[in-house]
Amino acid sequence: MKKLLSVLVAAALTVTMLAACGGSGSSSAGGSAAASASGTAAEAPDTITMLLPPVSTTYQDQLSVWAEEFNAMYPNLTLEFENASWEDYKDKLDVQINAGTPPDIAFVEYDRVGTLADSGLMVDISTLISDEELADFDESALEFYRLDEGLYGLPVYISVQCLGGNKAMMEEAGIDWQSVQQNGWTFEEFREAIKAGATDDHYGFIFACAGVTAADYLNIMVKNAGMPAPFDEDLKFAYTSQNFLELLKCLRQIIDDGSTPAEMGSVDAGKRWNMFLTGQTMIFGKGLANFEGLAAENNAKLAADDGTAVEGSIETEYVVLPVPTFFGEAQQAQGSAGGYSMFRTVEEPDPVHQANVMKALYFMASGERAAFTCNELYLSGLSESARTAMAEIENEVPRNENNANAMALLTEQAAPARPDIPAEKTAQATRLMDEVIVPKFQALLAGETTPEEMYEAVCQAAIETFGEDGVVQD
Amino acid sequence: MKGNHSGTVRTGRKWRLTSEDLWGYAFIAVAMIVFCVFTVYPVISAFFTSFEEYKPLGSTFVALENYKTTFTNDLFYKSVWNTLVYTVFTVPLSLCISFLVAIMILPFSRKVQSVFKSLYYLPAVASGVALSVVWLWIYDPLPTGLLNSLLSVFGIDNVNWLGSSRTAMFSLILMALLAGHGTQIIIYLAALLGVPNSLFEAADLDGATFLQKLWYIVIPLVKPTTLFLLVTGIIGSFQVFMNAYMMTGGGPDNATTMVGLLIFNNAFKYSDYGLACAQALVLAVVIAAVSLLQFKLMGEDVEY
Amino acid sequence: MSGLYSQHLNRPWLRTVRNGLISLVLIALAVATLFPIYYMIVSSFGAPVEAGGASYSLFPTTLTLDSYKFFFDFSPYSARWLLNSLVVGLVTVLGNVVFAGLAGYAFAKIRFKGKRFLFYALLCAMMIPYQVTQVPLYMLMVNQLHLSNTYAALVAPTFVTAYNVFLCKQFMSSLPTEIIECAKIEGCNQLQIYLKIIMPLSKTVLAVMAILTFMNSWNNFFWPFLVTSKDYMQTIQVGLKNFKFANTTYFAPMMAGATISALPMFILFFSLQKYFLEGVTIGAVKG
Repeated sequence: MKKLLSVLVAAALTVTMLAACGGSGSSSAGGSAAASASGTAAEAPDTITMLLPPVSTTYQDQLSVWAEEFNAMYPNLTLEFENASWEDYKDKLDVQINAGTPPDIAFVEYDRVGTLADSGLMVDISTLISDEELADFDESALEFYRLDEGLYGLPVYISVQCLGGNKAMMEEAGIDWQSVQQNGWTFEEFREAIKAGATDDHYGFIFACAGVTAADYLNIMVKNAGMPAPFDEDLKFAYTSQNFLELLKCLRQIIDDGSTPAEMGSVDAGKRWNMFLTGQTMIFGKGLANFEGLAAENNAKLAADDGTAVEGSIETEYVVLPVPTFFGEAQQAQGSAGGYSMFRTVEEPDPVHQANVMKALYFMASGERAAFTCNELYLSGLSESARTAMAEIENEVPRNENNANAMALLTEQAAPARPDIPAEKTAQATRLMDEVIVPKFQALLAGETTPEEMYEAVCQAAIETFGEDGVVQD
Repeated sequence: MKGNHSGTVRTGRKWRLTSEDLWGYAFIAVAMIVFCVFTVYPVISAFFTSFEEYKPLGSTFVALENYKTTFTNDLFYKSVWNTLVYTVFTVPLSLCISFLVAIMILPFSRKVQSVFKSLYYLPAVASGVALSVVWLWIYDPLPTGLLNSLLSVFGIDNVNWLGSSRTAMFSLILMALLAGHGTQIIIYLAALLGVPNSLFEAADLDGATFLQKLWYIVIPLVKPTTLFLLVTGIIGSFQVFMNAYMMTGGGPDNATTMVGLLIFNNAFKYSDYGLACAQALVLAVVIAAVSLLQFKLMGEDVEY
Repeated sequence: MSGLYSQHLNRPWLRTVRNGLISLVLIALAVATLFPIYYMIVSSFGAPVEAGGASYSLFPTTLTLDSYKFFFDFSPYSARWLLNSLVVGLVTVLGNVVFAGLAGYAFAKIRFKGKRFLFYALLCAMMIPYQVTQVPLYMLMVNQLHLSNTYAALVAPTFVTAYNVFLCKQFMSSLPTEIIECAKIEGCNQLQIYLKIIMPLSKTVLAVMAILTFMNSWNNFFWPFLVTSKDYMQTIQVGLKNFKFANTTYFAPMMAGATISALPMFILFFSLQKYFLEGVTIGAVKG
C-alpha cells in the first residue's frame, strides 16, 4: 500500500517538477572520498554524516580541520558535517529519526538519551567499541550515557551547574567568597548574604527563569535539597517528599525578602548576563564556566574605552559560587554531560559501515577534539587522551585559580548519573515536570500560588502518574 | 449557484463531461497534483499514525489509545481554551483594525497611499524570530523595562508582563494586535480598490452619507475578502504556537499553552508522534467546524 | 481616489481638515506598529557582541556597520543564502501566480463536476497543523525521492498553495459573470477568457498574491531547514538561525541579518506598487 502510494506520488511529482524548474545543487561532495580511496584499496570508501550544534564558540570553524585529520588517518573515510543551532538541531534530529533516516552521528545531551534510545535507532555501542577505546574514558562520565546494560554514546564534557557572583559587590557585602567556594554554604547563609547584598542599586540575587528556563532553577536547587534525581534508590518519584515542599517555601522566601525581584520569573538568559555586567545584581544563575572569560573580555573593552563594551557595564570579576545546600543535605551539583551518539537507519545496519562510524565517533569524542571543546568551555576532559591533549594546547585560556578549583570541587561532588532509571520513567517524569511542576513553579515565582498549593498539585499529579506506591511519602 | 448558463448545452446528465468540466479540470490540474502529493498524502499518513504508537522501526497499533489520551488530558482542554481566547480576541479585532486602516488610506492621493501602505506593510516582512526578540525586550519585567518605564510615567504600577498568568495571554494578544496587519491591510485595499466607482456615484446622486455608502456598498462587496481573511485568520490563529514558543514557552502556569505548542512538544520534545497526529486531527476537525460555520453565516459566494 | 469619500468640492478646506485628521490617526497607529522594526534596524548598527551586550536603549549609541560585515564574514555562504532564497521565492511566486490563478478562476467561475467537493478538500488541507505533515513529507522528499539539497525540494510543497487558490477564488468570484458570458458568445474558449479578460482584471490580486507568496517563501524556516544539510543550499532564514550560538546570541548581527533579509521583500513590494492601485479598472468594465 505504502509503496504503491509512493510510486504514484513520485510519478505525480515528476510532472510537477517539469513545471517547477529543478535546479539541483548536489554534486562535488563525493569527489574527495573517491580520490583518497585509492591509497588503501582494500577498504571501500565510506562517508559518515554528523548533525552538530555549535558546541563551543569556534567549534564549527574547527570541524573542517578535524575532517582533514580524520581523512589522513583513514583515507577511505570522509566526514560530512551539518550544523544547526542548539534549538533547531534537536527538532531536525527528531524528524529524521521519525522518518527513519537519522545521520550516523549526532551530538546528544545526556538527558535526551532515554527518549532517543526509545526510538530504537540509537545504537548501543558497547559491542562496537574496543576495550582500549572504552578504557580511555572515565567510568563515571560514561555512566551518563548508559542505560541498563547498554552504552549509547561517548561523553565529551560534563558541566556542573553553579551560580556566579560579582567579587567586588560580595566583598562589600562582607561575604567571604573564598570560604564559600571551598566549604559551600547553607541556604540560611545564602539568604543572609543576598539580603545583605541587595541595595538600592542592585539586587542580591537573580536567576534566569523566563519560560521553560524556570526548570533550570528548580532543577539546580532541588539537587541540594536531598533529591539528586527525580527518583530515589527504590525508583520512587522523589518530588512528593516534605523536603520538596520546604524547598519551595525557601525559594519563595528570598523573593518575599526583596533580595531578588518579584518579576524574576520572566528574566531571560540574556538579561541576567546583562544585569551582571551592568552591576544590577550581586549573584546570578545559572553560572557557566566560560562567563569568567566573557567578563574579562568586557573588562578589557572597558579599559580600552572604545565604545565596544556592553552599554552601561562596569568592571566585574566573575566568581564561581556553589548552589546553597538545604536542610543539612549534601552538596551535589547538577552535572550535565554532552557527547556524541551513533544512529542507524531503519534498514539493516551494515557492520562495515558501523565499524567506520565507530572510528569517527571515538575520534570526535576523544583526544584533541575533546580537548579543544573542553578548553573553550572552561571544562576538564573526560578521557585520558583528552587530558593529554589538553596539556599540550598552546592557547589554553587563562583561568582564575580560585574559580578553577571551585569548579573542580563541584565536579567532584556532582550527583552521579543514574543509568538504573528506566527510560519510560524518565519520560513520564519529564512530562510531569513540563506539564505540571514547571508551570506551577512559574506561578509560584509570580506570587500567584503558595508553596502548599503547588506541592498539593504536584503530589496529586505524581500519584496519578506513578500510583500511590510509586512516589515517596514521608 | 445562481443560474448562469454556459455556452455548451448539457446533454447527458451523469458522466458525460462537458467542455466546461474539462476546462475546469485542466485549470485546477497542477494545483490538485501539488495538493495531493504534499497535503493529501501526508494527511492520510498522519491519519494512520494517529492509531499507532509510532516507532520508526515498527509501530504498534493501539486503536483509539491516542485519542483517549487526548480527550482525558486536562492540559489539552486548557490549551484549546487558551487558543480559543487568543483567537476570539485577535482575529476579529485585527480584522476590524485592518479594515479601518484600509478605509482610512483610501481618500489620499496615490503617492500618499503608497507611503502608508509601505509603512503598514513593513512589519510583515521582518522575520518573526527577530521581532520576538524585540518584543521580549519591550516586555522586560523589571521597572527599567521599556513598556514598564513608559507606563510608570502615567503612574501605573510595574507589570510582570509575560511572567504573570494574569497578563501573559494579554501580552501575547497585544503583541499580535500591534505586530502588524500588513498582509490583511494589503488584501483589504486590493478589494476596496476593486469596488466600482460607479456605485458610489449612483449613491451620491441619491444623497447617501458616508456611513450609508460604507454599509450598503463597501461591506457587502468586500464580503468574499472578509470571509477569506476570517477563515485564514482563524486557521492561522488555531495553529499558532511560534509566539508562545518564543516568548513564554507556554507558561506561566500553562496560561499561554496553545494547542499548536502542545502538538509541537508531543511531536518533537517527547517523540510521541502518534499522539501528536491524533491531536492535530482533532484540532483540524475543530477548525473545519468553525470555518464551516463562517461559510454558513456569511453566505458562500457573492456573485453578480 | 475612491468615490467612497465625499470630495467636498464646495468646501475644500473641509477635505484638508478631514484628511489631516485621518493621517494623524494613521501615523499614530503606524508608529506603534513600526516600533519593533525601528528597534531592529537601530540595533543592527550596534557592535557585534553577545546577547548580554544587547543595547537595552532606545537610541543608538554606536553607529557601525560591523554587524553587517560580521554577517557576511560569518559564513562564506552568506551571499549564497540570499541568492538561494531569491531563486526559491521567485519560482514559488511564478508557480502560484500561474497555477493558483488558474485554479482560483476555475473554482470561482467555471462550472465543473465535483467543484464544491474539491474546493472544500483544498480548504481542509489548510487546517492540518504542519508539525504532523513534516515527517511524512520528509520521508517522501528525502528518503524516497532523494531530493535533499535541491531547489526542487525547497520549492515543491509550496508551488501552489491552498491559501492562494482560496484568495484568488474569493477575488475572482466578485468579477462580473456577464463579461465572461459575452466573451463566450464571441467564441472565446476558457483559456482565452482567462488570459485576455480575467488576468488583466485581476492584476491587483495577482500582485498581492505575488508579494505575499514571496514573503512567506522568504520567511519560511522549518522546511528549508529540514531538507538542506549543505551550507550552500540553505536559505537566508536557515543561515540566520545559525547566529544563535552556544548560550549566547550575536544580537546585532542577527538584527543586521533580519534587516538584510527584509530588504528584497521591500524592493519587490515597491516594484509591484503600481499594480496594487489598478483595481479601479474593474469598475470601468462593469460600468
